[in-house]
Amino acid sequence: MRGAALVATLALLPPLIGFHPYYVYVLSTAFLFATLATAWNLLAYGGQISFGHAAFFGLGAYGAALTSLAGVSPWAAIAAGGAVAVAGALLIGAAAARLGGAALALATLAYAELWRGIAQNWTAVSGGGAGLVGIPPLPTLAAVPLDLTRGHTGSYYVSLAVLAAALGVFGLMTRSRLGLALRAVREAADRAALLGIRPITWKLASFALSALLTGLAGGLYVHMVRVVEPDLVFGRFFSIVPLVMAMFGGLHSVLGPTLAALGLHLFSELLLHPVAPALHQLPYAVALIVVILYLPGGLASLAKAPRD
Amino acid sequence: MPLSTLMQTLVSGVMLGCLYAFVALGFAMILGISHSLNLAHGEIVTLGGYIGYGLWAGSGLHPLLLIPVAAAALLPLAFLWHWMLDRLPAPRALPSLALTFGWALLLQALMRVLWPGPHRLISSPSLGASTRFGWVTLNHGRAVVALAALGAIGALWLAVTRTRWGRAIRATGLDRDAAALAGINVYAATRITLVLAMALSGAAGVLLATTHYVYPTAGVELTLLAIVLTIWAGVGRLLTVLLAGLLLGIAESLTVAISGPAWREPVIACLLLASLLARPPVD
Repeated sequence: MRGAALVATLALLPPLIGFHPYYVYVLSTAFLFATLATAWNLLAYGGQISFGHAAFFGLGAYGAALTSLAGVSPWAAIAAGGAVAVAGALLIGAAAARLGGAALALATLAYAELWRGIAQNWTAVSGGGAGLVGIPPLPTLAAVPLDLTRGHTGSYYVSLAVLAAALGVFGLMTRSRLGLALRAVREAADRAALLGIRPITWKLASFALSALLTGLAGGLYVHMVRVVEPDLVFGRFFSIVPLVMAMFGGLHSVLGPTLAALGLHLFSELLLHPVAPALHQLPYAVALIVVILYLPGGLASLAKAPRD
Repeated sequence: MPLSTLMQTLVSGVMLGCLYAFVALGFAMILGISHSLNLAHGEIVTLGGYIGYGLWAGSGLHPLLLIPVAAAALLPLAFLWHWMLDRLPAPRALPSLALTFGWALLLQALMRVLWPGPHRLISSPSLGASTRFGWVTLNHGRAVVALAALGAIGALWLAVTRTRWGRAIRATGLDRDAAALAGINVYAATRITLVLAMALSGAAGVLLATTHYVYPTAGVELTLLAIVLTIWAGVGRLLTVLLAGLLLGIAESLTVAISGPAWREPVIACLLLASLLARPPVD
């Protein structure tokens, strides 16, 4: 507990002690990716591997952007984005409920591509390939000293709060009836069904919860970058990155995906990007290949190994 | 739509369908032999196209002569794939999907670095000409591509149905353990299938690059196409891949002729989703 308090305090510091705004921005996107990885891991907790989380991220992004552009407060718009993502997740979750692991993974991949195509062609609503611009920034909070809620600093604290909330939700989930049911469904779906656990209900619940967190992150993201384009938010990048981070960090572990997200994103942005910008996806590719071939349990299995 | 346009559209669709079936072969073969899904398949075909383009731009030889070179250049991937697939725990479908997703990304990054800038096309003058037969104009390049694809599919079909090693491949795909018990060297059968799959993918890439622009992420759509055709054909079938390809090629030509090219990609994604829901190829 003391360790957690220490980490939380340290995480609050960077903007206060005068980090360059660029580093503050990179850290806040790292928190956003860690949120995505945690949300992805929540779906994987029930044994469902998604290759298309960009669908939920993009739905959240477009839902929030359109609501915000209609004049609604950005906070309410981000919540609306989360709701849109949940609706989209229930749709694919229900349609693909009976598919096995690999077929479900392919179905989610196709689902994200489908939404990208719809966003590109439904110009009247989505702005087509050019996307939507002029999305307002996050509002500053009147009650807080101005420079803590403005610009990159404001985004930093909001993304940190969203990550903390996502980790809290994941931690609570593992200890709740939902977590118990998902573990049962994951390990032995037939036996769980025999005991009266309806796999589809619980799987849909994890789809909804995972998409809610992902959609909220998508809504937050568009208010940080203030544009939204189909190839950006529905692109493969947002499907791959949470998958790689969660698998690299360790499936089903609480903190592994967050640590992997921070490590991989900071490595890619701060060390690789200045040297070879064309290769910024390379660390994710290598991390995924290495983890599948050599470390199926991810980083979390390294931490546990000595005790076994 | 006037009859002449319809005829032209159907002919274009048939030729496109032959190419699609050829592109899908490598994916279908790897799924059939090893029950693993190769999400990097499209990137491998695209890499074959880039190698063909590089050789053509460097040497000025006729593109068709470069097909064997591009096919041979991809052979190391066959041994790499064999080694990787051997390491995966059974059932392999899901881990192979994640592993090859990583490879798709890696190959995209590689191609982005090796061939930056504009999209590439092998625009050989001899393939660019066309001949008119009544209502229908036949582009030489597309016709040659279709014939080459038909030839390759036919030869492969003969090989796996009429030769001993072909039967060994089919037996291994049907039931690996039973094939091993019957004295078949399943390791060698898997290796030869992977070698053939990679060589055919490289060849398909060169043919593709003579009629379609290649770019680092061109493979994404090719992979989706290959999965759709494999589901339509059924796992482990070769000639029906050709039928499925023809169906998709004609459907695509008609769609583009009626509603324009904008909806092409979402339609393919939609077909994949519907096919998966109706008839998942793996558990």
